[in-house]
Amino acid sequence: MGRLLLVSRLVVGDIKRRRTQSALLLLMIVTTTTTLTIGLTLHKVTDSPFARTRAATRGPDIVAEVVPPPGPSPEVARDFAPLVHARGVASTSGPYPVASARLTAGGIDVPVQAQGRDARPAAIDRPAVTAGKWVSPGGAVIERGFADALGLAVGDTIHLNGRRFRVAGIAVSTAQCFYPVSTPGVIWLTRDDAGALATRMQPLGYVLNVRLADPSSPQAFENGNAAYAFGNDTNNDVTSFMTSWQDIRQSDFKVVSVDQKVLLIVSTLLALLAIASIAVVVGSRMAEQTRRVGLLKAVGATPLLVATVLLAENLVLALAATAVGVIAGQVVTPVLTNLGNGLLGSAPTPPLTVTLVAEVVIVAMLVAGCATIVPAIRGARTSTIRALNDPVHPPRRRPVLIAFSARLPVPLLLAVRLVARRVRRSLLTVASMTIAVTMVVAALTLEHNVDVHDRHDVASGVIGASSVADRVTHLVFLLSAILIVLAAINAIFTTWATVIDAQRPTALARALGATPRQITAGLTSSQLMPALLAACLGIPLGLALYQLAGGHVSEASPPVLWLLAVIPGTLIAVAVLTAIPARIGARRPVADVLRSE
Amino acid sequence: MPQPSQLPVREPRGGYQLGVVREVLLALLAGEASHGYQLRARLALALGPLAEALNDGQVYVTLGRLEKAGLLRSRRVGQTDRPDRKVYELTPAGRKRVAQWLEDTSWPKPAPAEFHLKLVAAAAAGLADPVGIADRQRRELLVGLGQAQRAALAEPEGSVSALLLEGVVLRLQADLRWLEACARYWNSAKEQK
Amino acid sequence: MNSRQPVLSARGLRKEYGRGAALVRAVNDVSLEVAPGESVAIVGPSGCGKSTLLYLLGGLERPTAGTLELAQHRIEQMPETGLARLRRRALGFVFQAFHLVDELTALENVELPALLSGVSPRKARERAAQLLEQVGLEDRAEHLPSALSGGQRQRVAIARALANGPAVVLADEPTGNLDSSATTEVLRLFEQLHADGQTLVVVTHDERIAATADRLISMRDGRFVDETRLTGGSARSLTEMAGLKG
Repeated sequence: MGRLLLVSRLVVGDIKRRRTQSALLLLMIVTTTTTLTIGLTLHKVTDSPFARTRAATRGPDIVAEVVPPPGPSPEVARDFAPLVHARGVASTSGPYPVASARLTAGGIDVPVQAQGRDARPAAIDRPAVTAGKWVSPGGAVIERGFADALGLAVGDTIHLNGRRFRVAGIAVSTAQCFYPVSTPGVIWLTRDDAGALATRMQPLGYVLNVRLADPSSPQAFENGNAAYAFGNDTNNDVTSFMTSWQDIRQSDFKVVSVDQKVLLIVSTLLALLAIASIAVVVGSRMAEQTRRVGLLKAVGATPLLVATVLLAENLVLALAATAVGVIAGQVVTPVLTNLGNGLLGSAPTPPLTVTLVAEVVIVAMLVAGCATIVPAIRGARTSTIRALNDPVHPPRRRPVLIAFSARLPVPLLLAVRLVARRVRRSLLTVASMTIAVTMVVAALTLEHNVDVHDRHDVASGVIGASSVADRVTHLVFLLSAILIVLAAINAIFTTWATVIDAQRPTALARALGATPRQITAGLTSSQLMPALLAACLGIPLGLALYQLAGGHVSEASPPVLWLLAVIPGTLIAVAVLTAIPARIGARRPVADVLRSE
Repeated sequence: MPQPSQLPVREPRGGYQLGVVREVLLALLAGEASHGYQLRARLALALGPLAEALNDGQVYVTLGRLEKAGLLRSRRVGQTDRPDRKVYELTPAGRKRVAQWLEDTSWPKPAPAEFHLKLVAAAAAGLADPVGIADRQRRELLVGLGQAQRAALAEPEGSVSALLLEGVVLRLQADLRWLEACARYWNSAKEQK
Repeated sequence: MNSRQPVLSARGLRKEYGRGAALVRAVNDVSLEVAPGESVAIVGPSGCGKSTLLYLLGGLERPTAGTLELAQHRIEQMPETGLARLRRRALGFVFQAFHLVDELTALENVELPALLSGVSPRKARERAAQLLEQVGLEDRAEHLPSALSGGQRQRVAIARALANGPAVVLADEPTGNLDSSATTEVLRLFEQLHADGQTLVVVTHDERIAATADRLISMRDGRFVDETRLTGGSARSLTEMAGLKG
């Protein structure tokens, strides 16, 4: 009991005394836990919107389509007979005529699929009207995703193949993926209106909605005789498709899965960044921790107790960060899972499960633990007397760097020697900056890719295809911003830690005649060198990351100039960030540091 | 400029004397028999720059006394072109005396008591300011310290004569610290009045 | 440099910390002139401001009031950059805690001021080797400070202070962290430098250093209270002190 009290008192005292550092550590782990929670939660998102919509619209199990080839040809016979009477089919609705037309409205000109429907609701697939009314002569109902992309509302006027129509309503359905997952967009008209749109160049196709006796295995049906017959009996020039409801759901959820993939990748990056940053913070407190270890050992604490004390503080922070991160994740996830437009409602956030919390806790503890492990081991291994008398780990000597730096002008001499003093910290800095640059490059590539696709899609008549890509882009940019902010904080903190660690040598240098400007330049350069390395590493890594997340670099590689601009961009950013701590460090009164009294 | 110490200085007639010269001579003979002048030379070597001040006749007079006391014996050695010289060597009694001296751990008495009483008396009788006395004595000792330190540095590094002078220096340093404490004490005593 | 002009000239120097009721005058109206080749020792109890005075003289702190001239340059208002450049040329510093860079060898430590002055690495290294020889540590040139004794470290620090041929060497309690024999090493070195004509200003507790200086200044509560030249004494007093009775 006494030991527990001792440890808790030490931990609380430490946290109170170092509020800024503890807050910093907390912030770093929280970003990781939040992103991780979102990622894991999304993973568990069920298809409730889809299921709900399917139930409400009596969605089909199988959609069979017959698409005529473009060009003049006689009306296609509606040969759905093998399907209608096949074994395993419970009921069908349709076949409905489908016309390919061009929709023009306000400066937009896009291809559409116009399905002809009865005014009465169908037995299978009755699109749920979310605004306005169902089809009527001259009145078109637009699929919601499509309407949103085109910016159309009830009452607007559109032209189909030159004919005027009114937007009578907006509806959702699970017989096809929502726009722009499925293109061209879908609108519903009366049978007559749809039929009137057929031309010799674009004759009517037909679609049949099928409900199976056993909805869970459309695959079996698709491989069965009826499907085979359907596929082979139709005219050779005619194309026939069958799509199962699982296929449709999966396509719809590609959106979510992309989000999820991105989130998991980014939370890994965040975790790595957090580890690097925390390691720097913890490393800078090594002297104090080592002295504490020495004290505890001197008063007879067991190695276990010593390790507990060292790790306890960071683990407490990890637990706090988990709590904050999980709550924040719960709040943010619904925003992301609102698949918006194509389906009814948004997924309710899955309830918090013990496994999810456990997973996040473990990651948070690993992050905090990893960063603390090296100092903890070193502290525990140092002999008690050394720990009490001489706790600061003396910098290792790097003769090559020292000799090399002698030939450089004074600021670079100082910078190289500062880096050489604490190589591990410099490497950690490189790591964290590289992570940030990698993310930025991946984001730039994505943005460029979206641009290219936008232009391509506009040309081929698909508007708003980027709305899905937009969401991903926004997500990626948001996360990049978070990463950049963290990396920036890390850069400032590392500079500050360097300033403090190098207090004596820099004061000495000034006493020996280095000007404050030389010192400032030296301190800044000691951060610019890792930044340069980070920028050079980050460019190829960023492109690789983009590829890893599913993009294709070859078709969308940003121009070389953009990529090269990342290097000076990073250097300028780091120089600006580190300027203030460096200046403060260079102007502290020398006498205070060096005096004997 | 503060005046040096006011104590009358008695100029000794024949130079300075060594207190333990008897024991030293006996000890120097323990190794081998020697002539008187050889013993004097070895003493001089060990005293370094201070050897010149040593009383000339003290060595020979002491040798005579030691012989009379039975701690030494001498014999004459004939020389071809010089008067005969005496060679001295230890007797068993002399050897025993040397052994006793080497084991003896008594230390020459330090003498703060005298100066301390001087200050107390001056303060009590109102005759002089103890702080002034202490300061003047400090200055005197500082001069001496400077001298001794320079002499020590002039001797070859690690030589036995340098060791002697280091002893002088460190003693003076200790005395100076005490005098500083005296000055502080009497100064605050003055301020309290 | 004109050899008759004082190397260091301070008038009415004052250094204050805090304000109002908490005002502390660390240095209170101090005037000092140091001629070239002189060795000056400043002594006094702890907290009397002698270290502060030394840092003022070296331009490492700015005086609250007063004028200060170093090597014929007025420095109390000089901007930091100019001060740094002047320090390179005209000053050498020796600290109580040595302040050697832990990860550099003795040679690399000594060449540092030259490198900071822009001297070529080869010349800097040659000069450093010369200086280490001058202080008797040429066989320790490749040793790290951790492998050197206290006295040796301070001698390396003194060699460093001499790297740019300074007009004056300022030493702040140079033997404060040293035992008696290390102090002797440093003393020997100072005497050598003094004999070579180097101007020295030493702040010290150690009576041995104070007694061997040309001028001895006592300081108390930020002011100079006594100044003296320790002359006089004779072989007589030395023999008495050694225990030879008259």
